[in-house]
Amino acid sequence: MPVAGPRRVRWGVLAVFLTPALILLTAFVIAPILGTVAISFECKHGFCLKNYVDVITQQSPDLALIYPPGFGGPPPWGALIHNIVWILIHVPLTTMLGLIIAYLLKDTLGGSFIKSIIFIGMVIPMVVGGLIIRFMFDKYVGIVPKIFQFLGVKSLAITWTSYPQTALIALILGSVWLWTGFSMTIYAAALETIPRDYIEAAKVDGASERQIFFKIILPLLKPATLVVVLMTILWDLKIFDIVFVATLGGPGGASTVMALVMYMYFARELDFAKAAAVAVLLALLTLIPGVYMARRAVKG
Amino acid sequence: MADKASLAIAIIAIIIAVIAIGYAAYTASTLSSQIKSINNKLSAIESRIGSLEHRVSTLTARPTATPTRTATVTGKVTLTVIGPWAGKEAKYFEKVIQAFEAEHPNIKIKYVIRRAEELAQILPLQFSAHTTPGDVIITPWAWFIVKMAKEGHVVDLTGIIKPSDYIDGIVENVMWNGHVYGAPFTMWLKPGFWYRKSFFKKYGLHVPKTWEDFLNLLKKIKKIPGIKNPIVSGDSKGWPLSDIVEHFLLTFLGPDITYKLVHCEVKFTDPEVENVFKTKLVPLIKEGYFSPPIEWTTAIEKWWAGEYALYFMGTWIAGMVPNASDIDFFWLPGDKAIVGGADYAFIPKYTKHLQAALTFLKFLATEGQVIHASTPAGKIPTWKKAPVDKIWKPMQSVYKKVTEAGMKIVPDLDDTIGGHWQTLFWDQLKLLWVDPSKLPQILKTLTEQLPACKAKG
Repeated sequence: MPVAGPRRVRWGVLAVFLTPALILLTAFVIAPILGTVAISFECKHGFCLKNYVDVITQQSPDLALIYPPGFGGPPPWGALIHNIVWILIHVPLTTMLGLIIAYLLKDTLGGSFIKSIIFIGMVIPMVVGGLIIRFMFDKYVGIVPKIFQFLGVKSLAITWTSYPQTALIALILGSVWLWTGFSMTIYAAALETIPRDYIEAAKVDGASERQIFFKIILPLLKPATLVVVLMTILWDLKIFDIVFVATLGGPGGASTVMALVMYMYFARELDFAKAAAVAVLLALLTLIPGVYMARRAVKG
Repeated sequence: MADKASLAIAIIAIIIAVIAIGYAAYTASTLSSQIKSINNKLSAIESRIGSLEHRVSTLTARPTATPTRTATVTGKVTLTVIGPWAGKEAKYFEKVIQAFEAEHPNIKIKYVIRRAEELAQILPLQFSAHTTPGDVIITPWAWFIVKMAKEGHVVDLTGIIKPSDYIDGIVENVMWNGHVYGAPFTMWLKPGFWYRKSFFKKYGLHVPKTWEDFLNLLKKIKKIPGIKNPIVSGDSKGWPLSDIVEHFLLTFLGPDITYKLVHCEVKFTDPEVENVFKTKLVPLIKEGYFSPPIEWTTAIEKWWAGEYALYFMGTWIAGMVPNASDIDFFWLPGDKAIVGGADYAFIPKYTKHLQAALTFLKFLATEGQVIHASTPAGKIPTWKKAPVDKIWKPMQSVYKKVTEAGMKIVPDLDDTIGGHWQTLFWDQLKLLWVDPSKLPQILKTLTEQLPACKAKG
């Protein structure tokens, strides 16, 4: 008995449901993206690559994506390099801290309460986070310089955000504090999914705590680690609010990042084409981890 | 086969639907932009007629305090006015609004707070779409008004605002091609180093008469117990530092230096400019006479509490301290000019209430200034006909001190240039404050990135 009828109906239903979604996607996602790409190529007379050349070769320390004169000394090194440095420091620190905290607090009395406190960093708006970072590293009211003052390290008992040597690292460390709540939550959820049987079986076989952690728990946390690492990379590439509030990319361009450069072209230079060019470059960079993550998700 | 046919029909239906909706949206937006374009042309014609009417009225010696077009405001109108003031400052501006509404019961003002930075993000996009979030917009960024005017988004106020009615050089900041695009409101001054009279009296300190006196004063202050640094350096995004630098340049290079730097007739890397930094400013920073940059409102509290003795700040500081009668200021010995800057009001071409907007704008530029300057906003009028005795008392003494000394008021260097260079200037000075050894590199960067120098190649 052929059953072609129901399938035909399904395609019709599919069309009905797909159309509104496609229209919305086209209007609010695809069209703006294509529009931004088109603007990024706009020149006085038609289309050209000049905007890209200009933003890549820009040598003003606060707008440069790569700033060779700063190499060999403290920042500025260019917004792109600052983003990369951010990723190199922030991702491992956040990942490890999140894992350690989640593991230590698992089944610990009051663990949920402590986790809630750590998670506050994720809950507060990033603009507020930026302000808190600014105060945390302030010579007069900040906890960090006070600690170094107590330890007798005078060179670090300063307002970190005011000095090119420390501004970028202050923001990165501040972002670790803000973002650790995220990795901790992901790991805490992932730890709950590990069957107790595996651990109990390992214990019966005589495995030490260390062996259980490195040989069983850590491998089973690989999907969670992937999510944490990729999401943190994406966040680091897009970072804007805390830099804007805490330092505005200064001093001397020492803490500027790509999103801030885009903002400067947009809101200060009122040069939308160059702002769009930076936006496209930034989007291309975020596509690398984004596409990788999407492919992993599709593969399951 | 049937499945494939259904799929094909569904895809074709989706494509047709998307195209149809896209076409409808495109047609609607084209029609709408055409209607807006016609409206704008009408507004421009109205504005031009208003300007011509005003010129005729001037020629026939009719009163000019209020534009002729005011008479044509009929029915109730609500104007959206966007300004930068919040908190106490907004309350002072509220008094101006109340006075206007009492005088013009047909026009109601809805005040919206938007700072210059926000406006720079919002307005270009709104104007590109031939719409505006406000009927009258107030901003301290004269350069921004001129830039928008060049792109054809601003109502021409030539004939309505006469430059000769205002303090010299104020209206010129919002002129382009001989046309006026902004109406000046009240102005602030950045007259010099503020100090507490009680502090100076307590420690037997005196206002310096020479550069050596100034250095000795700093030395004396540094020795006072509890003093962290003689001068507190305000920090926000860096602008308070730029005021100090401009004051040094004006003192040692004369009142014309601002104009010359803006137009790249003199460069930051030129020996005379570099010399001011090298021999006057940097030694003070190195000696620890300036504090590291501290958030500028926190700096006021610390200065008031006696942790610092001097604070270079604008006249608005008078409205931010507990007792304005206890403060006074001095400029660097030998100085002949101080920086002053006004807020400017402009009307976007896309306003639907041009006549009412013109009436309010003219009020702001004249009587509104008198009311605003009478509040503790710490401002003085730019309108020459404003009576001095109506200015808030603490500001009256500032005004008299400045005018009696014959000080020239010059526009703010970075406010005049604006754009990215302004933030670059602030940021580079923050760097100078914490690392004076970077001076040559900083001056080179400022010169290379200055728009006028870039244009000259």
